[in-house]
Amino acid sequence: MLVKRLLLLVPLAVIVLLLQSYFWVPTFSDQVKGSDARLRQYIEGSIGDAQILNPILHTDASSGRIVSLVLDGLIDRDENLNYRGRLATSWEIYEEAYFVPRPGGPSAGDLRERIGRARAAGQPEWARNITRAEVIPPAEEKNILAVPKGRGQRGFDQVPVAVAYPERVKLTLKEVDQDLFDRLKALLGPDAFATDPAPYLKSELQGPARQRAASEVHLTEHNPVIVFRLRKGVLFHDGHEFDSGDVRFTYEAIMNPANLSPRVADYEPVKRVETPDRHTVRVVYKRLYSPAFGTWGMGMLPEHLLNAKALAEEARRRNQDPAKFTMRDSGFNRHPVGTGAFRFLEWRSDEVIRLARFEKYWEGAPNYEEYIYRIIPDPLTQELEFYSGSVDSYSAEPHQVRRLRRDPRFQSFSGLAFGYTYIGFNLRRPPFGDPRVRRALTMAVNTRQIREFLLYGEGEDITGPFVKQSDHYNHGVKPLPYDPRAAERLLHEAGWKKTNGVMRKDGKPLQFTLVTNHGNEVRKAIAVAVQDAWKRVGVPVQVDLVEWAVFIQKYINTLNFDAVILGWQMGLDPDLFQIWHSSQTGPGQLNFVGYSNPRADELIIKIRQEYDLKKQVGYAHELHRIIYEDQPYSFLYVSKWTALLDRKIVIAEKGPDGKTRHRKITPTKTGSHTFHFNKWLKLPQVPELEG
Amino acid sequence: MFAFIVRSVFFKAVTLLIISVVSFLIVHLAPGEPSQIDPLNPRFRKEDIARYREAFDLDKPLHQQYFLLYKKLFTGELKSFKDNQSVLGKIWTRFLNSLPLFILGTILTWCLAFPMGVGAALRRRGLFDQSTTLLSYLLISLPGFFLAYLLIIGTVNWLEVPVLGIHTFGQGDAPLIYQVNDRMWHLILPSLLGATGGIAVLSRYVRGQMIEVLDSDYVRTALAKGLPSDTVFYVHALRNAALPFITMFGLLLPGLIGGSVIIEAIFAWPGMGRMGYEAILSRDFPIIISLNFISAVLVVIGTLVSDILYVIVDPRIRL
Repeated sequence: MLVKRLLLLVPLAVIVLLLQSYFWVPTFSDQVKGSDARLRQYIEGSIGDAQILNPILHTDASSGRIVSLVLDGLIDRDENLNYRGRLATSWEIYEEAYFVPRPGGPSAGDLRERIGRARAAGQPEWARNITRAEVIPPAEEKNILAVPKGRGQRGFDQVPVAVAYPERVKLTLKEVDQDLFDRLKALLGPDAFATDPAPYLKSELQGPARQRAASEVHLTEHNPVIVFRLRKGVLFHDGHEFDSGDVRFTYEAIMNPANLSPRVADYEPVKRVETPDRHTVRVVYKRLYSPAFGTWGMGMLPEHLLNAKALAEEARRRNQDPAKFTMRDSGFNRHPVGTGAFRFLEWRSDEVIRLARFEKYWEGAPNYEEYIYRIIPDPLTQELEFYSGSVDSYSAEPHQVRRLRRDPRFQSFSGLAFGYTYIGFNLRRPPFGDPRVRRALTMAVNTRQIREFLLYGEGEDITGPFVKQSDHYNHGVKPLPYDPRAAERLLHEAGWKKTNGVMRKDGKPLQFTLVTNHGNEVRKAIAVAVQDAWKRVGVPVQVDLVEWAVFIQKYINTLNFDAVILGWQMGLDPDLFQIWHSSQTGPGQLNFVGYSNPRADELIIKIRQEYDLKKQVGYAHELHRIIYEDQPYSFLYVSKWTALLDRKIVIAEKGPDGKTRHRKITPTKTGSHTFHFNKWLKLPQVPELEG
Repeated sequence: MFAFIVRSVFFKAVTLLIISVVSFLIVHLAPGEPSQIDPLNPRFRKEDIARYREAFDLDKPLHQQYFLLYKKLFTGELKSFKDNQSVLGKIWTRFLNSLPLFILGTILTWCLAFPMGVGAALRRRGLFDQSTTLLSYLLISLPGFFLAYLLIIGTVNWLEVPVLGIHTFGQGDAPLIYQVNDRMWHLILPSLLGATGGIAVLSRYVRGQMIEVLDSDYVRTALAKGLPSDTVFYVHALRNAALPFITMFGLLLPGLIGGSVIIEAIFAWPGMGRMGYEAILSRDFPIIISLNFISAVLVVIGTLVSDILYVIVDPRIRL
């Protein structure tokens, strides 16, 4: 019976056909089945897809990862987290300073004379730092100010503001000196400088807008200057040579309002970018702002592909209006061209981004021929892809670390994250105004236990707001001990008495609400552990879990909370202005705990104005100690990451005799194992290596 | 017949209009902004946010936005918020990725469900019938993602082979036969999981239909007449029992675009379902609304096609 047979045979045939395909698929231990190309590829998994592959436009981590491989910046960090040159071979930083003499006081010429004499005599000592003093003629500076529109209207008006400067004195300094004007006051007399901006401002604005405009008048002005010397003969992936024009173009593209670049805030302090020749870039800043240096690690765009002419041509090619066509619309953002070690091949949305090594990379081409960035939205899926050999690295969850470290198939690396988790107290509200209460609350919590049981030991203590492995972190600050008895004593000292197991003052119990966001299991568990610990010292606390958006909008931004559990991700730059300066305590700002300490404010400003690493570290250590003593946060821990790699991946280097040697991947001092990524290679079998 | 088609096309157009309004409103009235103009992002200044809103037409009144959006959709100008790519182009590439899953899933469903249903009907209350019943109910009641994880973890741990994505990465240089088989291997689990629900339900239907037909008079007559039982079961009975299922082809159509959000997300399959899911997460309004509208169109066409198929295969029905 044909139909009967078909009903049995067709399904059987389909199943057999499908199942035999198993024998053609590579496995973890035999990744070269079919083709050995897999050995020359590095495959990384990512939760999210990239959004826009343009260094001046992207805001997400995935785009950042790809962009950093395709486009090199002028500088980056070396093994010890110090700056090193990439597209720039070297740089120098000096300062140009200006001031307006007080009207009716000594003239600019007189003041210049006096400074010149001090410089010639080398008395006082700091005057040796001045290489040049000159008088510059009156000049008018024009600026555009964004002023909020009138009441009931949204948006901003772009208002031109002009400042007419009289004769000024210009000083050139070998090294940036943030105390220059204080020193000059000592030399020239306390009222040598003009103090009232009003006579110089030319603007029709009134009221608060006029005050904002007045801040555009700089009676004394520090202009730090960075001069980058660029590497010669560096090529973009399309063969065009990289030069200083590309650096200036990248800066201009960021500042071009049509591009809506999210990096505008980083480059706003730049006054101008000059290119004296093809391999020199001179960046002049409006004011002292040392974090600005690190921003030059951003990828450099190719001017010849993205300038106005190129964009207009692209618009015509794609039949779009050239007037409306901006860099955001350009095909470049899905097909970037840079000077990096890998050149872009293809991007299939939500699936994969493929890069190929750039054979003419200035530092020598990487070992891997291909870099593949796979989008795998589910963490478990990522883990399984790692086990089956189709992803090369995996970040282990804390609870997996112990097991996976022992697995003979993998090699593992661990390090400290750049960030920390903390309990923040609203210092505006009693009883948190009293530092003794904050110290007591910190001492009542056993952070060791939190690390042990909630993080499976994958965390370390932290006492301050800097990256723990950076120089700015003060290892001399010792964490407060876990000591509930001492905590109770401190509360007694602060006037709280324990009755019926609850701390009370004037009959009122010490109780408050601890809020954190929903969806973070670790924070939720911490909240419960902390609640229990505080209850033991007589502080009953209510725990609230709220949705992230609500948490930020209704609690943090409106400053409506007692205590919160949160975490900060940090960069390496020690600028703490936004999070710790007392001017940043308003609604919607980041110093939402309301921390305010005049000495800390002073140090924060000094740190962001200091260009000398040693001095900066000194300030940072003091600031670290002050913040820890004030305990506006209860610093809980910094978590550890653990990355796993297939054990078949090694570092392959050519020795002086031309033979390739293999050695184990070793992490740098700061824990980064990917530092030598360009030398990595996968072998067909797990190699026998020493070390 | 003609009058029926004209009438139903008219009513279906009205339905589509209502769907277009409702889906537009649901997306816009739900809280949250497209991730590109997230006011929570501390890096954005107020004027930047205002400029973004203007660029995406979000500053206009709702009814204008509605007309602009559908106008752009029909002229093919509509672009995704997320990456400025043409929405229709994106949907088309994703559709091509989802298509093999859909085809193999359909083949598996029909290939397995028919023998299962027919076999169970012929051996009513026998061991085969009981076990397929159990299996069907298991497949219906087990959540797809749970089964998917069990299967994936089992395969990866025991066989050490990749199962996720469209193909194994790094196989671009392998001989063709490796590549073809590799792609086939990657299709098996997701399409099987996509088909489980269909297999379970369809085999139940087939069994029910078959039992109904087997109980009818003409089957008894044929058997009494002394025809070989195989001829009676597989020619006379099966043909009649299978009739209603032909109309199901029309209803397959919407499945083409829906894809399976969960299966595609778990298997890292860059198909339509996952695109829709991601569009919802990043509040990519143009993609969400277009997908919604296109699938509504397909549902409407599907029901129309199945109505018409009904008439063609079963002349007793008149419209």
